[in-house]
Parts: sequence; structure tokens; C-alpha cells
Amino acid sequence: MHEHQLNLTINGCENKVSGDVTQPLADVIREKLGLTGTKIGCRTGECGACTVLIDGKPVVSCLVPAASAEGHDVVTIEELSQKDDFQRLVQSMLETGGVQCGFCTPGIMVTLWAWLQDRSLFGGDISSALKNNLCRCTGYQSIIAAVEQVIAEEGGTRI
Amino acid sequence: MIQTQKKSKNDLAAKVTGNTRYLHDMNLPGQLVGGTFRSPYPHARITRLDVSKARAVKGVAAVLTAEDVPHLEFGPTKYKDWNILAKDKVLFIGDEIAVVAAETREAVDKALSLIEVEFEQLPAIFDPEDSLQEDAVEIHPGVERNRPMHVLVNRGDMDQAKQEAHIVRSGRYHSNRIYQGHMEPVGVLASWSDEEGLTLWAASHIPYRARETYAAGFGLPEDKVRIIVPPIGGSFGSKYVLKLHVTSAALSMKTGRPVKMILDRSEDMLTAHPRVPLTYDIEIGAAADGTFLYKELTVYGDAGARIYWSPNVLATACTRTDCIYNFGAIKAEGHLCYTNSSPTTCMRGFGNAETLFAVESVIDELALGLGMDPADLRMKNIVKQGETTVHGYKLDTCNLDLCIDKAKEISGWERRNELPANRGLGMALANHVSGFRAIDPRFDGSTAIMRINLDGELEIETGEIELGQGMSVTYARIAAQILGIPEGGIIVKSGDTGRYPFGIGTLASRSTVMGGNAVMKASQEMQRQIQALATQVHGEGAEFRDGQVHSDGKAFTLKDISAWYRARHAGEEFKVKETYVPDTEMPDATYFGNPSPNYPFAAHVAEVEVDPDTGRTRMIGYWAVHDSGTIIHETMAKGQVIGAVAQGIGWVLMEDFQVEEGVVRNPSMMDYRMPGAHDIPHVDIAFIQEPDPNGPMGAKSLGEVALDPVPGAIANAIAHATGKRGTRLPLSAERVWNMLQS
Ligand code: FES
Ligand code: FES
Repeated sequence: MHEHQLNLTINGCENKVSGDVTQPLADVIREKLGLTGTKIGCRTGECGACTVLIDGKPVVSCLVPAASAEGHDVVTIEELSQKDDFQRLVQSMLETGGVQCGFCTPGIMVTLWAWLQDRSLFGGDISSALKNNLCRCTGYQSIIAAVEQVIAEEGGTRI
Repeated sequence: MIQTQKKSKNDLAAKVTGNTRYLHDMNLPGQLVGGTFRSPYPHARITRLDVSKARAVKGVAAVLTAEDVPHLEFGPTKYKDWNILAKDKVLFIGDEIAVVAAETREAVDKALSLIEVEFEQLPAIFDPEDSLQEDAVEIHPGVERNRPMHVLVNRGDMDQAKQEAHIVRSGRYHSNRIYQGHMEPVGVLASWSDEEGLTLWAASHIPYRARETYAAGFGLPEDKVRIIVPPIGGSFGSKYVLKLHVTSAALSMKTGRPVKMILDRSEDMLTAHPRVPLTYDIEIGAAADGTFLYKELTVYGDAGARIYWSPNVLATACTRTDCIYNFGAIKAEGHLCYTNSSPTTCMRGFGNAETLFAVESVIDELALGLGMDPADLRMKNIVKQGETTVHGYKLDTCNLDLCIDKAKEISGWERRNELPANRGLGMALANHVSGFRAIDPRFDGSTAIMRINLDGELEIETGEIELGQGMSVTYARIAAQILGIPEGGIIVKSGDTGRYPFGIGTLASRSTVMGGNAVMKASQEMQRQIQALATQVHGEGAEFRDGQVHSDGKAFTLKDISAWYRARHAGEEFKVKETYVPDTEMPDATYFGNPSPNYPFAAHVAEVEVDPDTGRTRMIGYWAVHDSGTIIHETMAKGQVIGAVAQGIGWVLMEDFQVEEGVVRNPSMMDYRMPGAHDIPHVDIAFIQEPDPNGPMGAKSLGEVALDPVPGAIANAIAHATGKRGTRLPLSAERVWNMLQS
């Protein structure tokens, strides 16, 4: 164990957490900070349930050693869901049926949000943007429809 | 000032914003971490077991072995072959030998590493047909030929039918092990106290049966076990009854402290209870005009080392497809076989989807032999509205013919003979039940409680379980339509055996029809009672409509109504409780009976392109037409269809849970690849909506019938594209490539 004091900026707050520097960021977020919106489906980077934003980019937080997030801006679903323009995506997901069991959903919402902010990410295509997020329930069609609905409501102005 | 946050009252909004608390987000004060010591061998006698070093590890609160737990007969079906911990023999890799509870994960791991055990290995069997051999090693004492269940079904004159047949097609088909792929790994939080008994927070979608099973394991009365079901992060059949729930309960009883166990993904996969693998020998004979004359079927089911839900899978596999087509004479023999693999269990569409893969493949072969369009051959032989099927299913509504026509229309079926090279179009049909009489001998209906809160909100309690399929919003919509109130003001509560009415749970596609009928009855009774109360309070002129009581030009809300009731009933809440008991029949020993209130149907068409150089199949399009009666919640209904089709695509083209000699070869999501967004084509959906007289608002089930036809439809499309018939799932690139070379 490499016990250490870490300074992490999560959802705009400075947090001092102690513990193993190699512990996954996902565990710090969930267990030390109690932000349980970030889910753990695999711990090996394969499911995307633990996706958070680091400096605006979606990252699977189960594979990020907490220490390497020092000095970066980490944003979780809890922060995003406070934002006004995030509500449009929430509303679209509910209208199109983009959520069923919901376990993948916070991770997917983080990815979708990041892509809506910067559509050049992942080669510009929404199903490519979802390549790191697994959903066993929905078959993705309604999730993609939700994003398309947000874009349509914007009148395509921000592409 | 503190403002209560305004949240939507259904489960979905919380899920989208990360506010839903799943099991792994919950903790109790004083909670211990649990872990399991499992058998490394598929079949072995335990000759020495020493846990003294493990018990001495700092922070360890308990290490339990077979000596510390009861050994009573129990199990989730009538085959009571479970134990809490293995006594002298282990039956599969992963079989539980000891469990540990400790203050930290590290202490658990250390204790597990210090358990000393010696084995004498025994011969093991992995192939169900081997386990039937006379000289095969005995897995469970006294079970002849390792066959706990033997199904025999005979109807009609088989000899005569065989003589009359003009064309016969047959084959050996194999449907593989599939991992359910629930995104939330399996887990439990158990807490014992002498006053309360055992409380389990466990994501079981059949919690009352789980309660009965676990209570029997400990010799407790059922009401000393309470199961609280947190939101379930996906199941598809995997989260029903689980040994993990029982062993964690034992640890909590021993330590007097809560014990939490959450499997990591690899342990979840290494100890998974996948879809029952089934092998079929099938033969169908038809007359020269395509009329089916007989179907003969032998099925071998691999139960693994213990019985979870496999008997029901086998019975379904042997019978259900006979209620889509009129096959003429029927013979089915089913062997459920013990093997030394991890027990297998239910997965969405169980038994039916697998047999349909074989049946729909053989039907296409017959069509080819007869020179008929496969859709026409199907149309000629399907069951019809008003018929009673060969096994006794009463089809009050059946629009399979319209489903076929619609599927042809929207898929452009007439293109079938002019497709470009390497492209194929395949069709398959399906049926299902909406609940099943034989699940619980006592009862197959559902109970709903409805109450008006002090603030005028309507609450519905049900014994059925939300799995993300949209049960809650569906129930809210039924109540909203009957009572004329907005859906947003309705809260649906479920998932606590200690609080909510008894229910069978969510399986056999029963939640919409069974629970929905109960909600409908409760809504109607509530409406009647509100009207009676309004008359009592405001006289004959008072009328309850559009969710309000209207009297003398004034309107009164549910909040007022609630207050009137309480004022007249000693402060009691305004509540009704109604039970729906369907008019079904328990299938008899020959599997004859009308087990469901109604039966949904579907016709699916798949279009594929097969790369001749690699054997890789690409989905080009998919069309799903469903007769599920009235569609109550179209958004969630479509979600069920698309999600099921996606799972079916995964099953047929990419997924194979590989277990060799009892060892899982691909226990990670990297090695067991499930479909991603790029693997699923656009799915076009159409509903044929004739209300069914036995469904709530006319609804029939949908969740499983949407998966049932997928393997057959894709397999037929691949055969159409390549001219070769794949008989073994999955039809992976490698397998198709080999087929093309043969
Ligand atoms: S938990 Fe991080 S990718 Fe699955
Ligand atoms: S909604 Fe269940 S996994 Fe995506």
C-alpha cells in the first residue's frame, strides 16, 4: 500500500482523500465521497458504467488510478444532473425510453453529454461515441433517438 | 428554508440522473464483508477441511463450513437438491465449501487463502447424453441415470402421420449457454436479528419464491424471512434464487451483524448460472401441399449440478412451439440431465426461443424442399383465433396471420428472391404466455393495494417486481386511465415481502397481465368507493369523474376525498385491496391445460449480409410485428422489443458462454462480447392491437415473445444468404466460414 494524501477536484470541490494512490478513481468517488451515481459493472474498463468526465472527456474511472486525477477536473453524474441544459437530455431519454434497468444509464448520460458538448469526439458519430458503454436492456436505439431529439430541438445549430 | 426537491414519482427519472440506489450503493452500520471459498474441481470428495488458520486472521468474524449450517432438504423447485455449504462432496467448479465474513475485504481474502482442503477427485460428466449412460458416475445419490426429470408427450397417431408424409426434414440442433449479462453484478446484503428474523436486500425478481426457498434451507417459518428488493440492475433470469443469498444469511446469523457480498464481474461470470444448453433431435413431416403432419422431438437439457429453474425450461422446450403451429401428431421426449457444470437456469424466452430456433430452421428446410415461400408455408400451418391448441391453450385472440402479412409488408419480403449476393431474408414466428399456472400451485394471480395519501397522491402496491421493463409506468397508466387522474400523481411500490402483497413475481412474462389486471380491478373498486363516498358526503348529485368529485358546481380533489374518508373511518387511510385470479387451468401430467390468461404472438424478419471470406454476418435490417393485444405504454413496449432483439442478435451472432470440463473459459466482458451500439441495426416495430378479453385494457405480454423468434429469424436469413444451414448456436463468423467451406 502506498498510503498518501491526494488532492482531487471533483465536481468543482477540492477534496483531500487519503489512501492507496493506485486505488481506482471510481472507488474514491463512490466510497470516500459517497457519490454513488457512478456505477461499477466490471472494474476492467469494459462496460462504461463508471464513466466520468476528466477535463471534459469521458473516461472509465475504474481504470484511472486516483493519483493520476490530481490536478484535473473530474465531473460525475451528480454534477451534470444539476445543470439546466442537462435536463433536456434527461427529458429526451425519458421520452424515447432510453432507460430500463438504469444501471448503465449514468455512465451513458455522461458519455452522451460529453459528445453533445463536443461532437468531434469519437469521429463525430453518436454510435461510435457509445462504443465504450454497454447496455444490456435497451438495444441502444432509444438512447440514440434521445440524442437525436436533443439535436433536433437545438435546430442543429451547434454542430 | 429547506425545499423538498421535486422529483418525478416513477423510477425512470431517478435512474437517468444517477439518483437510484442499487444494492451495491447501500450499506448498513456494522456491516461485514463476505467471501466464498469454492471448489476448484468439478466432482470431488472433500477428504480434509481445516479453517482454523482462516478463523485466526485478524478482522475475521466468522468462517463457516458444512459443520456450522443446517442440512435440510430445500431448493426452488420440487427437486430439493440444494445445500448451504458442501458437506462431503463438491459437484461443480465453484460449489461453495466455506464462507468468510470479516471487517475488510483484505481480511476476507487472507482468510480464504488460508483455508486448507484436500480432495479425492471423482470422475466428472459434462455432456448430458453421457450422464444418461448406465455406467455413468452418480452425481446425486439415488437419481437414476442422473436424470431428475423425464418428459414424455404424445398426441395423435404418429405412425399414421409418418406413413402419410410426403416430405420430411430433420436434424440435430444445439442451443448454447448464454450469460444473462446483467450489468449490475450479483450481490446481497443480509441482516439477522432474533426479533426480526432474516432480512435480505437482494435483487430477486421472484422474491416470494426465494423467501420460501431460503426459509426452508434454515428451517425457519416463511414469515421470519423478509426480502427487500432494491432496484434491479438487469437480470434477464439470472437474479432469482441464488446460493449467495443463503450463505450470506448464514454468516449474518452466525455473527449477528449485517453481511454484504457483491461479486466482482469475474466471480459473477465464473459462478454464473447461464441459459440451459439444449440439444434437439427434431423431425417434421408434411404433406405435398405443405400441411404439417407430425413433429417428433427429443431434447437433452444440461441442468448442471443442481436444479435451479431448468425443469421448467425443459417442459417449455418440449411443448410450447406446438401452440404456434398445428403440427398434427406430436411426440416429445425430454431428458433433464445432471452434469458437473455450474447449475443452469432461466433466461428470457427460456425453452421456447431455443426450440423455435430448431423448429423455424426445419420449417425453412421444408419450404425449400417443397418449393414454397417460407412465409406461405407458415401461414398455412399456424394456429388461429378461437382455437384450442393441441396442449389446451385457449386462443381468445390470435392475430398471427396479420403479423405475418404485416412483417412481409414492412420488411419488403417480396425482395427475397432478388436480393444481391450474400444477402438473406429470414422469417420466424413466436408465441408466449402471459403468466403460467404451474409456477406456484397455490395461486397464479396478483394482488394490488391502492391508497389515497393525505396529500391526494395515489399509491399502488404490488407483489410483482420492476426489472426496468416498465411495470411501474404501465400500472400507473392503467390506474390513471380508469380514475381519470394524471400519471404523474401515481406512485407504484413493490419489492418488499414484508410490506407489499404476496406476488409470484416477474417471470413468464406475467407482470403486465397478472399485475395489471389486479391494478385494473383495484382502480375500478376505488372508483366505485369514491363515488359511494361522494354520494354519502354530498348527496345523490355528486359525481366522480376526471379524478375529481363534482357537486353543486364545485370540484373536490383526491386530497379532499382522502380527508372525507379519514373523518368517517377513525382516521384510517382510504385504501382498497383487490386480487385478480385468472381463469387458467393447471397443466396435467401430460402437459395439457390452459396455463395463461392469454397468449401473445409475433412474426419477425431479419435481413443479413454474410461475408463469404470471413463468415461474418452483418445485420442489415430487422422487422418485428407483435400481437400483444392493446399496447398500454408504447415507449416501454418498443423498448422491450428492441432490447430483446438486441439480446437475440448477441446470442445468435456473438455470444457463447464457453464452459470446458466445468471451467468457464471467457469470464470477462472482453472475452464474452455482448452487442454494442454498432452491432444492432434499426429495428422496425409494428403492433397489431386487438384487445384481448383477459388482458388489462386488452393487453397481452411482450417481454419474452420479442426474443423468442430472433434466433430462428437470423438463422433463416443466414441460410438464405449462404445456402447452408447452421444448426449450432452461435452462428459465429468462424462457424459460418466453416459451413461455407463444407
Ligand atoms: S466498471 Fe469501469 S468500465 Fe466497467
Ligand atoms: S438500461 Fe439496463 S443496462 Fe442499460
